[in-house]
Amino acid sequence: MMSFLAHIVTWLNVPLNAAGKLLTAPVAAVPGWLSNTVISAAMGVILLVLWKYTSNQDAIGRVKDDIKANMLALKLFKDSISVTLQAQGRVFKGAGGLLFHAIRPMLVVTVPICLILAQMGLWYQARPLQPGEEALVVMELNGNVDSAWPNVSIASMPAADVIIDQTRVFSKRQIYWKIKARENGLNNIVFQVDNEQVEKELAIGNGFMRVSLQRPGWHWFDILEHPSEKPFGPDSVVQSISIKYPDRLSRTSGTGWWVAYFFVASMVFALIFKPFLKVRI
Amino acid sequence: MVIDSRNKTLKFLLLATLVVLLIPAKAQAYIGPGAGFAFFGSMLTFFYATLSVVFYLLTWPVRYVIRAIRGRRAFVRSRVRKFVVLGLDGMDYALTKEFLEEGKLPNLARLRREGCFKQLATTIPPISPVAWSSFQTGSNPGKHNIFDFLTRDKKSYLPKLSSVDIRDTRRKISLGKYQLPLGKAGIHLLRKSKPFWTTLGEHGIFSSVIRVPITFPPEKFYGVQLSGMCVPDLRGTQGTFSFYTSRSDGSVEHTAGESFTVTRNKNTIKAELIGPPNPFRKDNSVLKCPFVVTIKDEDTVKLTISGNTYTVAKNAYTEWIKLGFKACPGVTVHGICKFLLLSTTPEFELYVTPVNIDPEKPAMPISHPGIFSTYLAKRQGPFATLGLLEDSWALNEKIISDESFIKQSTDADIERRKMFFDSLDKIKRGLCVCVFDGMDRIQHTFWRDIDKQHPANKQRRQNRPRNAIEEIYRRMDDLVGETLDRCKSNDTVLMIISDHGFNSFRCGVDLNRWLEENGYLKLKNDGRNKKNLAGVDWSKTRAFALGLAGIFLNLKGREAQGIVEPENEADSLRDEIITKLTGLTDSAKSNQPVVKQVYNALKVYRGPYKDEAPDLIIGYNKGYRASWETAIGQVTDKIYHENTKAWSGDHCIDRSLVPGVLFCNRRIETKEPRLMDIGPTILDMFGVAVPRYMDGRPLSVADAASRRTDQSE
Repeated sequence: MMSFLAHIVTWLNVPLNAAGKLLTAPVAAVPGWLSNTVISAAMGVILLVLWKYTSNQDAIGRVKDDIKANMLALKLFKDSISVTLQAQGRVFKGAGGLLFHAIRPMLVVTVPICLILAQMGLWYQARPLQPGEEALVVMELNGNVDSAWPNVSIASMPAADVIIDQTRVFSKRQIYWKIKARENGLNNIVFQVDNEQVEKELAIGNGFMRVSLQRPGWHWFDILEHPSEKPFGPDSVVQSISIKYPDRLSRTSGTGWWVAYFFVASMVFALIFKPFLKVRI
Repeated sequence: MVIDSRNKTLKFLLLATLVVLLIPAKAQAYIGPGAGFAFFGSMLTFFYATLSVVFYLLTWPVRYVIRAIRGRRAFVRSRVRKFVVLGLDGMDYALTKEFLEEGKLPNLARLRREGCFKQLATTIPPISPVAWSSFQTGSNPGKHNIFDFLTRDKKSYLPKLSSVDIRDTRRKISLGKYQLPLGKAGIHLLRKSKPFWTTLGEHGIFSSVIRVPITFPPEKFYGVQLSGMCVPDLRGTQGTFSFYTSRSDGSVEHTAGESFTVTRNKNTIKAELIGPPNPFRKDNSVLKCPFVVTIKDEDTVKLTISGNTYTVAKNAYTEWIKLGFKACPGVTVHGICKFLLLSTTPEFELYVTPVNIDPEKPAMPISHPGIFSTYLAKRQGPFATLGLLEDSWALNEKIISDESFIKQSTDADIERRKMFFDSLDKIKRGLCVCVFDGMDRIQHTFWRDIDKQHPANKQRRQNRPRNAIEEIYRRMDDLVGETLDRCKSNDTVLMIISDHGFNSFRCGVDLNRWLEENGYLKLKNDGRNKKNLAGVDWSKTRAFALGLAGIFLNLKGREAQGIVEPENEADSLRDEIITKLTGLTDSAKSNQPVVKQVYNALKVYRGPYKDEAPDLIIGYNKGYRASWETAIGQVTDKIYHENTKAWSGDHCIDRSLVPGVLFCNRRIETKEPRLMDIGPTILDMFGVAVPRYMDGRPLSVADAASRRTDQSE
């Protein structure tokens, strides 16, 4: 099942990466707050429409009317304790009903939103290395503590220097390198693993670039979260390679914050457009 | 087993979602707006409701103390916990008795057996606005100022509604073609005195008052109220229907309605619904709501209006359709109406009910508090708000069929029933009053069903025998049964009352023509048949009739062009007209007496407003009533007009001929109860002293223990 999901996500990532590169290309050229706001607005409206057509709008309308009626009953008959408690009970029941009616559209909406967030994460979750900056490169290997270790090395490259060569953590089957960025550009680090060559993207530059934090292994969630690079196969010796990029510092488009900003901004835009699109939520 | 397993899955999904939503931040963010929508939709509701309840519960003792200080301690001397008044407008004593004897009203029979069934004396004149005003104030019309549906403007002699005065706001800022009104339109209730539920409220007793006539605009009191008869439609009229037809001769004049000729372009028809005047334009142009009808087949059309599309089947009303009339950017006037497709071929015909004020977003105050109508609309969906909601004029004008009219009435009853039962459920202690007026409308329009000699039956082809009146009596009996089930408690008193009875209306009497023939009224040279008394020569007129029951003297100092001296001439003139009218006979019908009694307002009314009444009130005999023309101040060339309209029954006759009914689940010893005694009785039952201004007296209502089980009435 997990392998099937990994196949599906890998397959979906191909067109999504192509579309993502094309559609989000302007992100590189505009301030982060602006690009995140525009994307959030567009997504808020699109998801609102999706919500409209995947939810039972009539039923939501009925439940909301019932909730409103009982809220008004609280006010109208406030001197009657029995009516107050009864109305509150019905409001709670209505709130539960709304949650129930939200399940289907929420499940439907979750799939595209995860794929889109993964594409956005490439831009906002970290910033590329700047020339002169150092970063850790971590390779995770298959097998257990007793398994044999392959011969691993990094081929020399013009974009970066290896300043601390491989350090092995036997208990975790991980190998660490420290590199120092030299010239701007989207490059590949080439690793020689026994007789096999594997690659990992390395982003060096100023401003916004698509930064792939990890080339994932054969796990559907990792592939979903790191869509940019082709995942390692289930039989590969290498399970994943990640680079510890520096955090992007911004409350609207910085590491960690961008997701929260997206959530709030998309909600706000969805709520603004709700009356025009006649959507009940 | 399958169901169990499904339920478990459902519960698991629900639980999982709840868990996800209750752990905020990152998880929500990854679901994005989906989680946000769910959060906004339910979690905020949950929190708000909890906060509200905590607030209301915490402040309850404070409010209780304030109420106790202000209004003494409620219910301390009360003999009853709950009092329910179910008003059935127009329920006739004689007809009810007949149906009871035939065993057609089992629930009312039970009430008669266990409590009482009596005649209930009505007011002079026995007209709903007058009678229900006396009910609510416990006083005679001289104290509440309502004497008819219509009265005259003393300056212009123009007819005007007697119960409400609606005036546009005077303060406006001029902006070229546009204007900005400052403040709201002035809407004033002309009914004076104080309803008994206001007195109850002052003593801390809560009331729910639904659709009692002459409660528009609603007054403040301790309770909730939905206004009834005399609530206007969105245009400010008492109900104007619209009729769209592709007939070339379609644009004919209708009473209380408008016809529009429309053009059929292949299968598409474009038209507009007329709304209220635009308050932002100086030229008072009306607001319009365009709609498009696309004919699908002979029996179905697609209707697109206010951004929504509906499928409309032939001869079936649509649900209430919400309309928005855009007055200016950001300002929309909301209304509701129903469409009835009458025909698609060979001619297109579409009937639209008067545009009612939307109870959810009322353009005028129709409830107290204002949110009460919103509450009802949210609870049960849109409902009719127009005072006279059954469109009897569309039936009179033969736009809609008998069946379509009856459907309006039954739909309205269903809506009213929901409100009434909700109020019965909500109010554990206090007063519930609800008036159902379908019985009045059905008897007005279908008396021809039971009066086979009625002139309206001459041209009538009825496919199958029907008795709409018996049907509604049975339907109301079912309602009584359901009400009884909800009023089982010994400390609940239930009263079923009506404001008047009914009788046949075969012939209309043009009182103005009679006044003219007897030398009391003079017309201008071209004055005949002009409406609104426009044809009257006031310099030579001593008396004139307007409305359904009254004759006014053209009194000097009171009317703008009065000529009758109040001191020397008025009394003798009154006596003279009374004498002559009382002897009026219909020569075409074997000299049948037309008038049973004429009342001198100065003698029958007491109170500060008796001078506002018509000077003489006519108590017509059975079969007669003021003609349609008299009601609107039009003078014709003959006194008697055969009534061939569907509106075939009436009660605007002598009050002794149309008593109402009083049923109660307890025995009442009083021999001749009156409608104005009901309010004082309720005050007395709740242990509240009856105010001295009330003319009604408490009825002697037996205790719960003495309910009868035998049939002795």
